[in-house]
Amino acid sequence: MLAPRLRSRLPAFVSSVRDHPKQSCRWQTTASTAVEPPPASGHSSSVASSKLLRITRESALRTPGIVWADEEPVRNIVGGRETRKMNLYQAVRDALSIALAKDDTAVVFGEDIAFGGVFRCTMGLAEEFGRERVFNTPLTEQGIAGFGIGLASMGHTAIAEIQFADYIFPAFDQLVNEAAKFRYRSGGNFSIGGLTVRTPTMAVGHGGLYHSQSPEGFFMGAAGLKIVIPRSPIQCKGLLLSAIRDPNPVIFMEPKILYRSAVEQVPIDGYTIPLSRAETLIPGSDLTLLTWGTPVYHCESAIQLLNSPPPSLAPLIPPSLRSAKVELIDLRTILPWDMEAVVESVRRTKRLVIVHEAGMTGGVGGEIAAEVSKRAFLRLEAPVRRITGWDVPAALQFEKFNMPDEIRILDGIIETLSY
Amino acid sequence: MLRSFSFKHSLPLTRVCSKSRAHSTLPSVSSSLGTLPTTQSPVVSKLSFFNSVTGDGSKIPTYRVLDGLGVPVEGAEVPEISEQFARRLYEKMQLLPTLDNILYNVQRQGKISFYMTSYGEEAAVIGSAAALADDDEVLAQYRESGVLLWRGFTIDSIMAQCFGNHEDTSGKGRQMPVHFGSKQHHFHTISSPLATQIPQAAGVGFALKRDPARSSKNIACVFFGEGAASEGDFHAGMLLASTLPTPTLFLARNNGFAISTPSSQQFYGDSLSARGPGYGIDTVRVDGNDVLAVMNAVTDARRRCLESGRAVMVEMMTYRVGHHSTSDDSFAYRGRQEVENKKKIDNPITRFRLFMESRGWWNETEEEELKSRLKQDVLKAFKRAETLKKADLKELFTDVYAEEPWNIKEQREELAGLLKKYGQVWEPWRDELKSFKDEGKKLLD
Ligand SMILES: Cc1ncc(C[n+]2csc(CCOP(=O)(O)OP(=O)(O)O)c2C)c(N)n1
Ligand SMILES: [Mg+2]
Repeated sequence: MLAPRLRSRLPAFVSSVRDHPKQSCRWQTTASTAVEPPPASGHSSSVASSKLLRITRESALRTPGIVWADEEPVRNIVGGRETRKMNLYQAVRDALSIALAKDDTAVVFGEDIAFGGVFRCTMGLAEEFGRERVFNTPLTEQGIAGFGIGLASMGHTAIAEIQFADYIFPAFDQLVNEAAKFRYRSGGNFSIGGLTVRTPTMAVGHGGLYHSQSPEGFFMGAAGLKIVIPRSPIQCKGLLLSAIRDPNPVIFMEPKILYRSAVEQVPIDGYTIPLSRAETLIPGSDLTLLTWGTPVYHCESAIQLLNSPPPSLAPLIPPSLRSAKVELIDLRTILPWDMEAVVESVRRTKRLVIVHEAGMTGGVGGEIAAEVSKRAFLRLEAPVRRITGWDVPAALQFEKFNMPDEIRILDGIIETLSY
Repeated sequence: MLRSFSFKHSLPLTRVCSKSRAHSTLPSVSSSLGTLPTTQSPVVSKLSFFNSVTGDGSKIPTYRVLDGLGVPVEGAEVPEISEQFARRLYEKMQLLPTLDNILYNVQRQGKISFYMTSYGEEAAVIGSAAALADDDEVLAQYRESGVLLWRGFTIDSIMAQCFGNHEDTSGKGRQMPVHFGSKQHHFHTISSPLATQIPQAAGVGFALKRDPARSSKNIACVFFGEGAASEGDFHAGMLLASTLPTPTLFLARNNGFAISTPSSQQFYGDSLSARGPGYGIDTVRVDGNDVLAVMNAVTDARRRCLESGRAVMVEMMTYRVGHHSTSDDSFAYRGRQEVENKKKIDNPITRFRLFMESRGWWNETEEEELKSRLKQDVLKAFKRAETLKKADLKELFTDVYAEEPWNIKEQREELAGLLKKYGQVWEPWRDELKSFKDEGKKLLD
C-alpha cells in the first residue's frame, strides 16, 4: 500500500516514464481475455490503413491541441518528449495510471476490472496501485454509478467502468437524474465533477443487439453531463485525462473495435486534449462530413473512394464530383458539442453530412442538423443528410447492412454534392 | 370470472403463509414491554444485533442426496425414479458437454461468433428441468440450454441459433449464439442484459395465476447467476413475487464466478440463500452437482410455489468449470489446478453415473455407445447448419413494431435502392449478399 502512495506524490511524467517499460512487458505476456475477440474476418481494414493515425513520434508530438501536463517551457516539444506505440486500450490504461499516480483521491472501479477488465484497459493497475484504489464491484451498474456519485460528492476522483455501453441503462437514473443535476439542484453547493464513467461503445462486427449499441443520443437531453468519444489512442489518452479532471461528470465512451485495431505512437508524458472542441482531420471546401468514433475511418475511406474510385465503382461516381474537397470533422465531444466549429465549416462548404452508428431517429445527428439549419439556413445548398444505423436494433447476422459503411457514406456524399 | 377465481385461491394461500411464519426463529409471543403500531415485533429491553438467518450464526446448510461416489448420504431420501427416467437424465446431462465440446471448437475455428458452455453445471440445469412441468414458463439467463434439451428442443434448433441461419427459430439470426428461445417449449428468449428476466418472471407468475387454465398447474421459473443477483432487478423481482404475491420459482446458479469476479467479491453475506428470508421467501440451498438433490429440492420448491402462489428460492451450489465464454481465458484469474481439481473431485455427471452403475442401470459399454451416438448426432447437425444461409435480408427490418412505420419503410427502401446501385459492383456487399437466403431481393416485397 505504501509504495504506490509514495509514488503517487511524484509528478505524473516522472512516474510514467519510470514505470512504463515494466508495465508494457506485463501487458504483453498476460493472456488475452477480451470479451470481444478480434473479428474472425480481421480488423476493419479502414482503421489499419488509416492516414489519420499518427504512427511516428514527430507527428504524435505535433497532435493539435495537446496541452502538456508539466508546463516546462525549457522542454522543446518535439525534441524532449518520448512516445510509445500503443493501441487504444493501452492508451486508456496509460491515462488511468497517470490519473492514479497524480491524484491520491483517484480510484478506478467496475465489474471485472481488477484482473485487467474484459477489454484489458485496467491491466496491472490493481497490482501497481493496490486493491484499495483499483477494485472490482459487485455486478450492479446502478450501484456503480451511484457509488461513483457519492464518492465524487466528497471531492474524490471516481473513475467508474460500465462493462459495455449497452449495459449503462440500469445506471440511467443515477446518471440522468442524479449526476446531471447534482450541482443545479443544490444551488451550486454540491458537485460531482470528479466522476468519470468509462464505457466501451459501438459495433464490433459480431456483437448483436446488446454488444453493439451507441447510446450517446440517450444522454443528449441530460444537461449537466458531458459525453466524449475518442477516435484513436492519442486522442483517448488526452481526452480521458481531460474528462477525469473536468469539473463536470463525464461519460467517456470508447469505441471497442478500436481497442486493438487503432495503434499510434502515444506521448508518454501526461497531457490533455480539450473537451468540447471538434477537430478538423481533413480540410475541405465543398462538403462537411461530421462524425465521431469508429465511423471516422469509414468516412476517411469514403473520401478516398470519391477522390480515386476503383474501376468497379467508377461508373457510379460522376467525374465532376471526384475532385470535390470534403472536410472531415471529428466531433469528439458530443455534449456540449462544438457548435461554432461545425457551423463555421458548414457556412464555408454549404453542405453537411452527419454519420453515426446509432439509429437515425432520436440520434445525435438530428440535434446537430436542427442547430446547423437554424444558423446556416441561407448558406445551405442541400438538406443536411444523416447516414446512420437504421431505426432497428443491432441485429447480429445483418450488421454489415445496418451500420453505415464507406459505401453508404460515399453515396450520401454524392447525393448531397449533386443535390 | 377471474375475480371469483382469484378470491377462491387466496384462501389456501393465507394458510400456507401463516404456517411458514410460524417456523420463524423469532419468538412470536407478545411481550410485557408493550407493542408497536405497525408490527408484531416483540419489544425487548436487551440490545442485540443479528446477522444470520440461522439464528446461531452458522452458515445456511446445503442439501445433498448423493455423495461424491454416487452413494446416498445417511438419512437422504432418494427420489423414486425409474431406470428409464434415470437414463433420460443421464443422456441429457451427457448431451450438454457433447454439444459444448463441438460448438466451443467450432467457435475457435471462426465458424460461429461466440459460445458459452455449461461445463460443471449439467446437474443443476438438467435436474431443475426434470423437476419442473414441461409447460412451466422458464425465463433463463443463458447457461441453461439444458432446460430446452430436456423439453425436446432439437440439436438442429440449437445449431440453427448458434449459426444464425434461416432455420433459427429463436430469433432469425438477430441475436448472438446461445440466445435461445421457444414459445412452444415455454422458454422465453434469452436477453444479454443481466437480471432483466427476474422481475419479468414475477409478472409471468402473476399472469399464470390469473389464467384459470394454468393457475393451479404452472409456475414461472427464473434462472440467474450469483453475479446477476447483484443487479437491482434481482431484488425488485424477489420483492414483487413475494409481496404481490406471484407463483415464481427463483433458481440461482451459484457457480462461484461472474466472469473473473469470484463470489467472495460479489457479496459479503451468506450468499443468495440468506436473502430469501429477507423477502419472506421459502428458501433452500442445495448441492448443485447432485442431480438427485436438485430434483428433490426443485420438486418441493415447485409444490410450495404452486400451493402458496408465492415466490420460492433454490440456490444451487456449483462450479463454472469452463471459461466464462469463448471471449474469456479464465486462467488469467484462476489457477489451472483449481479447475482441474474441481473437475476431477466433483463432476456431476460422474457422480450420477456411479449411482446408476450401483443400481445396475449403466455400464462401460453403454457409456461408450452413448458418447459416440451423441457425438455423431451433434456433428451431423453441425454439418447441416454450417451449409445453410442466413434468413432473408428483409428480416433486418421486420418485427421492430407489429406494423411498419414510415421511417422503417423508407429505410428499407433506401437499402434496397443502395443494393441495386452498388450490390453487384462493390465486392464486400456482393459477397455478403450471397449469404442471405433472399440475397437481398425480397427487401421490396
Ligand atoms: C447488465 C449487464 N451487465 C454486465 C453484463 C456483462 N456480463 C455478462 S455475463 C456476466 C457475468 C454474469 O455472472 P453470473 O450471473 O454469475 O452468471 P454465470 O456467467 O456465472 O453463469 C457479465 C458481467 C451484462 N450482460 N449485463
Ligand atoms: Mg456465476
